[in-house]
Amino acid sequence: MPYKAGEHAHERVDKVSKSVRELLTQMKDTSEVIVDLAYAALMFDSEEIGAEVKKLEEEMDTLKYEIRIKAMLATRNKRDAVQLSGLLQIASAAEAISNAAGDIVKLLDLEIEKRPFLTFVLRDAEEKIRMLTVSDKSDMQNRSIQDLSVESETGMRIIAVKRGKRWVYDPDDTTNLKAGDILIVRGTEDGCRTLRRYAAGEAKWPAYPQEGS
Amino acid sequence: MDSLDEMLLEVKDTSELMIDLAYSSLLYSNRDIAEEVFSMEETVDEMVTQIQNEAINKVLEDRNVPKALAIVRLSTALEEISDAAMMIADVVLRELQPHPVIQLSLRESEVIITTAQVQEESILVNRTLGDVKLATQSGMWVIAIKRDRRYIYGPDEFTTIAAGDVLFARGPKDGEAYFKDIASGAVRV
Repeated sequence: MPYKAGEHAHERVDKVSKSVRELLTQMKDTSEVIVDLAYAALMFDSEEIGAEVKKLEEEMDTLKYEIRIKAMLATRNKRDAVQLSGLLQIASAAEAISNAAGDIVKLLDLEIEKRPFLTFVLRDAEEKIRMLTVSDKSDMQNRSIQDLSVESETGMRIIAVKRGKRWVYDPDDTTNLKAGDILIVRGTEDGCRTLRRYAAGEAKWPAYPQEGS
Repeated sequence: MDSLDEMLLEVKDTSELMIDLAYSSLLYSNRDIAEEVFSMEETVDEMVTQIQNEAINKVLEDRNVPKALAIVRLSTALEEISDAAMMIADVVLRELQPHPVIQLSLRESEVIITTAQVQEESILVNRTLGDVKLATQSGMWVIAIKRDRRYIYGPDEFTTIAAGDVLFARGPKDGEAYFKDIASGAVRV
């Protein structure tokens, strides 16, 4: 990041530490979604999701490189050095998690007929990963994930959306859902049952009275 | 599912819980939770060794090499995740407080960690987690409960909640307010 002449040292540090924060947040978020995607790739035997995991894994390498440089630039004294080395350790852990996710999707290279047992094992995990389709009867269509508050409403987090042939991974909250979208979700078994009913149009998405009205 | 599959599943669930606990220990600079992550890591190591032993022994009987290979590789990846959790928790056990940016960053994350104390008037009191379906209702997943000085890590659907419990939960930011209201008794549905 280029610095303007005359900029005060503390302003520089603030800028640097802000970017450290953003980078760390992004690494943490990626490390969480990448593991879910890796399991989803195994469960649904999807090379496409597997390829996304590999892509995210590469992005993590870049992020780690950037955060290392930013952290070094932000170091002014011993205390900074000690605290920032702790921060870098967390960044390394996030990268290690994404490497593990990369190793998990490598299982896709094994002969397919020998692998279904993994699907059965993963189906019984405490947190479930499931696939469901948004029907044209569902009132979820044409509304955004944020507007619906999907996760706080049902406990299910949408980790990927397939629309036609295209996949959107870790979709933004502003993503509008459409009829025909295939969702890969993660959460509880009964949350999944609930969400499945909304997605199928068998139940109406709950509406709450506006605050103050 | 045979016992090998069950162990594999247990290691998977534990590795995920460890990551959540490690971030919680950081957010609250909580050494108890950090130390629990360390002890879970030892358990995971032992289980992974046992899983790999059994998988290899099984190959001698059924000759299903790809299956054994898949089990060995998956369990190794799970061990890497649990090691990463330990690396995160390790930062809490250092002599200096974690860098303030870490906590800010955890609060800005897509998945946040929060706590709430269960009050007498809360509908959660004397009910099990399975019964109240907190994760389904609010998106907040309870990862630990502090009761007096003791902790219950990775509570399950049969765990009963008591007044005074401090719940540690993980979930979406917009589920936090409801979670806190349910615990405080402000919301009773």
